[in-house]
Amino acid sequence: MVEGEGLKSPVPEAGPPGAFAADPEIGRDLAEVDWAATPLGRPEDWPQSLLTAVSILLSSRFSMWMAWGPELTFFCNAAYRRDTLGRKYPWALGRPVREVWAEVWEDVRPRVDSVLAGSSTWDEALLLFLRRSGFSEESYHTFSYSPLRDDDGRVVGVLCVVSEETDRVVAERRMSTLRDLGSVPLALLTEQESVAFASRQLERNTKDLPFTLTYLFQEDGSARLEASTGIAAGHPAAPERLVADDASAPWPVPWPAGRETRQETVPVALDGPAHAALPGGAWPEPPTHALITPLPGQDTTPYGFLVTALNRYRPLDEDYRGFVELVAGHLSAGVSRARSYRAQQRRAEELAELDRAKTTFFSNISHEFRTPLTLIMGPVEELRTRLADAGAAVREELDVIHRNGLRMGRLVNNLLEFSRIEAGRVEARYEPVDLAAVTADLASVFRSAVDRAGIGLVVDCRPLRVPVYVDRGMWEKVVLNLLSNALKFTFEGTIGVSVRAEGAQAVVVVTDTGTGVPEHEVPRLFERFHRVAHARARSGEGSGIGLALVRELVLLHGGVITVRSAEGRGTRFTVRLPFGTAHLPPEAVAPAGPPATTGDTAEPYLQEALRWLPEPAQEGDPVSVASGPAAGTVPEPARNRAAAGSTKIVVADDNADMREYLTRLLSGAGHEVRSVHDGQEALAAIREQAPDLVVSDVMMPRLDGLALVAALRADPRTATVPVLLLSARAGQEASIEGLRAGADDYLVKPFAAGELLARVRAAVELSRLRNHHARWRTALVDSLQEGFFVCDEEGAVIETNAAFAGILGYGPQELPHPTPHPWWPDSRRDPEAHRQAEESFTRLARAGEGSATVPFTHRDGRRVWVSVTVARAEDPDTGRRVVVGTFRDVTAEHHAVRRDNALAALSSRMSEADSTTGVLAGALEELRGLWRAHRVTAAVFTAGERPELTVAGAPVTWDRLPAGERRLLTGLSGRPPLTPVADDHGAGILVEHPDGPLALRVDLGLRRPFSGEDELLLSLLAGRLAQALGRARQVDRQRETALALQRAILGPSRLPGGFAVRYEPAVRPLEVGGDWYDTVPLADGRMGIVVGDCVGRGLGAAAVMGQLRSACRALLLQQPDPARVLMALDHFAVGVPGALCTTVFCGVLDPRTGSLSYSSAGHPPGILTPADGATVLLEEGRSIPLGVLPGRDRPTGTCVMPARSTLLLYTDGLVERRGVPLTQGIARAGRAVQDGRGTDLDALAGDLMARLAPADGYDDDVALLLYRHPAPLDLVFPAESGQLATVRQALRGWLKQCDVPADTAQNVLVAAGEACANAIEHGHRDSPGDTVRLHAETSGAALRLRVEDTGRWKRPDPRALPRRGRGVALMRALMQQVTIVPGPAGTTVDMHTRITP
Amino acid sequence: MTTTPLLLTPGRRADDTPVLKAAGEIDMSNADALASALDALPGRIVVDLTAVEYLDSAALSVLFARHERIELLTSPLIAPVLAVSGLADLTTVRETDG
Repeated sequence: MVEGEGLKSPVPEAGPPGAFAADPEIGRDLAEVDWAATPLGRPEDWPQSLLTAVSILLSSRFSMWMAWGPELTFFCNAAYRRDTLGRKYPWALGRPVREVWAEVWEDVRPRVDSVLAGSSTWDEALLLFLRRSGFSEESYHTFSYSPLRDDDGRVVGVLCVVSEETDRVVAERRMSTLRDLGSVPLALLTEQESVAFASRQLERNTKDLPFTLTYLFQEDGSARLEASTGIAAGHPAAPERLVADDASAPWPVPWPAGRETRQETVPVALDGPAHAALPGGAWPEPPTHALITPLPGQDTTPYGFLVTALNRYRPLDEDYRGFVELVAGHLSAGVSRARSYRAQQRRAEELAELDRAKTTFFSNISHEFRTPLTLIMGPVEELRTRLADAGAAVREELDVIHRNGLRMGRLVNNLLEFSRIEAGRVEARYEPVDLAAVTADLASVFRSAVDRAGIGLVVDCRPLRVPVYVDRGMWEKVVLNLLSNALKFTFEGTIGVSVRAEGAQAVVVVTDTGTGVPEHEVPRLFERFHRVAHARARSGEGSGIGLALVRELVLLHGGVITVRSAEGRGTRFTVRLPFGTAHLPPEAVAPAGPPATTGDTAEPYLQEALRWLPEPAQEGDPVSVASGPAAGTVPEPARNRAAAGSTKIVVADDNADMREYLTRLLSGAGHEVRSVHDGQEALAAIREQAPDLVVSDVMMPRLDGLALVAALRADPRTATVPVLLLSARAGQEASIEGLRAGADDYLVKPFAAGELLARVRAAVELSRLRNHHARWRTALVDSLQEGFFVCDEEGAVIETNAAFAGILGYGPQELPHPTPHPWWPDSRRDPEAHRQAEESFTRLARAGEGSATVPFTHRDGRRVWVSVTVARAEDPDTGRRVVVGTFRDVTAEHHAVRRDNALAALSSRMSEADSTTGVLAGALEELRGLWRAHRVTAAVFTAGERPELTVAGAPVTWDRLPAGERRLLTGLSGRPPLTPVADDHGAGILVEHPDGPLALRVDLGLRRPFSGEDELLLSLLAGRLAQALGRARQVDRQRETALALQRAILGPSRLPGGFAVRYEPAVRPLEVGGDWYDTVPLADGRMGIVVGDCVGRGLGAAAVMGQLRSACRALLLQQPDPARVLMALDHFAVGVPGALCTTVFCGVLDPRTGSLSYSSAGHPPGILTPADGATVLLEEGRSIPLGVLPGRDRPTGTCVMPARSTLLLYTDGLVERRGVPLTQGIARAGRAVQDGRGTDLDALAGDLMARLAPADGYDDDVALLLYRHPAPLDLVFPAESGQLATVRQALRGWLKQCDVPADTAQNVLVAAGEACANAIEHGHRDSPGDTVRLHAETSGAALRLRVEDTGRWKRPDPRALPRRGRGVALMRALMQQVTIVPGPAGTTVDMHTRITP
Repeated sequence: MTTTPLLLTPGRRADDTPVLKAAGEIDMSNADALASALDALPGRIVVDLTAVEYLDSAALSVLFARHERIELLTSPLIAPVLAVSGLADLTTVRETDG
């Protein structure tokens, strides 16, 4: 234990207070003990072993005490004092341990004896009653005792290391109780059971809960004892009933029901008369306090309260109180659960009762239906026989009656059957049948209907080995309902029926490829009276009882039915029936009966299904039999032939009989009738040609009658068409609903023929009057040559004419067109044109008058420019304000203007450019703007490896260009010039460029058409571009020559590492002036640095500067001594006109040591800024400008650049300002370097130029040279592990130059080593010979390292992973910032750390 | 080709514990040598790294693989690497002042 602490062996000094010094506070108290009075004697005389032991004790963080000597004299440390000893400190120090722990001595003594006998011992979580806070306290400690030996090795003492675990033990105990309370069995249904369960759990923890009482409030406001633990029934402290405000009761009744009080725990002192002789639970003494805790209810009133006696040996702290409250919470949760369960159960019973009543009602009403039905069907059969020869019309009417009688019978039977099953009164007769044969037989009944529907029927019913027991009648209903359902919802594909054996079950599957059901509807498919809303079906009719009945029937057979469905894909019903009879009631099982025919049951199903389907075509059939509209076309409903000028009526009903009946009735009255199957077809038919009246059923598939009315009213063209709704749903609400939807009239089925005809006549009269002038107007508008349209208040186009359709391709049948209008250009593909169209439209619509030329998109995709003129008007029918507009096609005019503008813009743009590059870049920008192109690229195919690319739009290089685009450009290079080639995204053209063929491509980005007009324009512009390029080339050549000359005299084009420069000539467009800078690498590894300033500006000064620079350079190479160089230059200057009075700063720098010797010929001083900030001016070695006194000695100044310092040399243009002393300018520059000493050197150079520039720019030449010491380290080495040591050596040296603290240096070394090892191991394992590059540089306060490899990364070797992962982790731990960028051409590791001295 | 300098000296302490004293630098080019030297010694080993000036993850991997039988002596120079790598949590690491 002590060892684990990692104690350093203290070296005890001779005698105290040295031994006590490890802890000043305890040490002071120890020093005050009268040791001479103890058997140990004066500390001065203590043996070394005791001093060592005391020292260890005091320096340890662990709680410890020790006892030494014959009386086991007690010592302890600060931790022990804090955790355990409490008030006994410092009294206990120096006393015999048996006195110190008198109250537990009997427990401790055997341990101490055992240790004194030489063996260690320990106690885990020992219960001790301690009196450390003024009361006897329950506490738990783990003690480990070990012997202490004197200098001779004899055991003379005991060291006890203590860890107190009271908190853990108590918390575990309480947690355990809460866990037990939480493990509520689900079966606890009543309040009593729940409380009793909780009490059993509380009884197990008599330490924290010596006794408990659970009281629940009663309705009269009193509280009843529900349960108790740890206390005998009948104890005076546990009365059965408590009432509020009873002073004699053992417990006050807190929060009495009905009184608003705060619900919080109340402590009670147990000192009343009823509190005598209370049980103590696990403890020897009775409790002194109890808590009364509310059992929180769901509202403000608690359910009751819990009385808990408290453990007198623990303080009532937050934890204890919290524990009791959690216990109360559990109790009340149980009560709450039980109460809500009770409430739920009551609700369920009420619902069941309601359901039973409904079943009884259906049963009764169905019976009532059967009687009149029988009395209809009987006579009808009779009549059909008797009137067999009475003529087609009569027979047809009788067939209708017959068919619908059958259907009604089936509906009633289904309902009845269902009721019987619900009521458990079903009489089944299960006989063994060949299920495959029976099922196949039933399927075959449907064959004719399926054939007529034009879909397939696949029956796969192979004989089963054993018969299946079914009730034939029921089974027929199962299969017929499923088939009828499949046919109803399937419009193409197949219906499948299969029977097979699977284990001990027969499996019957009915599948279809129909409309399917949405996922959320699937679970409700078998629900009684539930119908899937809005499903596309052959018929909107249905009671919602078929599938519910099927499921009940299957259940009666001991089977199950399941369904899977996917919307739009189909549905699959699977019925599983067990073989044998074990699952059936024995009395209902019967022997095989005679084979029955399926006709009787099947007939109504088949008849009904057939009526959903198209009739075989018959000559002269007046009724439309289209089963559904073909995609994209408006169905052509059949019309009956009636006299011209007769009333046109559209009849919509999904029931074929009803449809035929209505058609017959209305045609007979002289109307021209078009009949359709549902609302959707009706809408299409009405939009195609508005009728005088619509007669529609309410319940229809796809679009019902109410929705049809709503759709008609929403469309201005059909808003006035009168509609007469027919519905089987009687009642006030239904007709109000219909009229509110906008129907003109409403008729409830059944209705008398005369009434229908009367209402039709009235509606038609009204509509005739309304329509007369509208027809006249339509004819007039259609004869206009210009496009004509009317917009409503929302901007929707509600009327158009024939010319409109001709120009834009949108005909009247698609009206209305809400905004955005379909002919507006696509907002994604051509946002600019879209914006133009939208803005013009909005502006015109708001103003109500005016005209504009706007781009539109023809339906076929081509761009059309139209000139629109609008005016405001009022609709005479509705009084609404509308906008009426006309327009004509001005596309051709538009393109001509656009061409002229584009050519002018391009010419003006190119006249501004004075180089081929400028011309090309300008032209591309112009083209991009013109076409609002994504990008315009120009590739010049020179002799080089890859073409030279110029881009307008997102910048890109040739290699990054998508391969397709590279191919297009390369392809263009072989084509004849100025011939446009359109592609998917734009168009390209070849232009002649002075350097080689130039392939130019306009990329529109999206699939926007590049029209013939566009191509023409492109070739015109390309021609203009070619001319401009040729002209610019001549200018280019002249300038290039001039620039090459100027640059040659300025300075080195390549700078050594560690330097940064800036140069700004005062006279534009010259690139040189009278100032110069130079760096001259010398033979001995040193570096000459020069900054000079000739008198004057412009070309003359530049010529002088060139000569001086060359001379200075040559002199430095000859003798690297700044003063001598300047002296020689003095003589040289005399011979060069204009060189006199040139100022020069000339220095020789040793980059290894930072030592600099320099001499200045009248030049402003260099500024040296160390990493720690203070600026130093290099003012030694100063003398007069060049050539003034040739032959005079010049002084030399020296300095050593500190690590990470920055040196600034400059010409006075940088610092000199009119009216400001030069020293002030120099000081400003110094401060600027200081502020930027943490910045990257090149960035600092830029910052300086920017920060020091006068408001209107530099008016003198400026040269600026920066050096930061040491120069960056740049190593390129072969990727071999043997190189690492060398690299490290170099890096170590560089870090030393940087004067980085040792620990930072070591961190950098390891991090860089890991990055290099990574590069070697991963990057180059398989391709030796590649190189790794290490670059290290410093800004004043930070280091930045970059390790790059050029090899391709291989897949990492999994075995090496943990190690490499460790490497990366090390890098991240040692550096402040690590970025690893893997790329196809190699990996770069960038690392960064601050230098903190 | 330069190789990384490393001197590995096996020995024994007064209490007979085997000691491996390393001096120089350890990286991926010579971590194997450290591994073989450790594997050549039986039982618990004190690895004296006080004279090691550089040690990277290759060396750490060798030490991690054997952490159950080694105890480390280290200098303040490389102690941080042993600490950040987590090795110091697995084995006893004692730091000397020099």
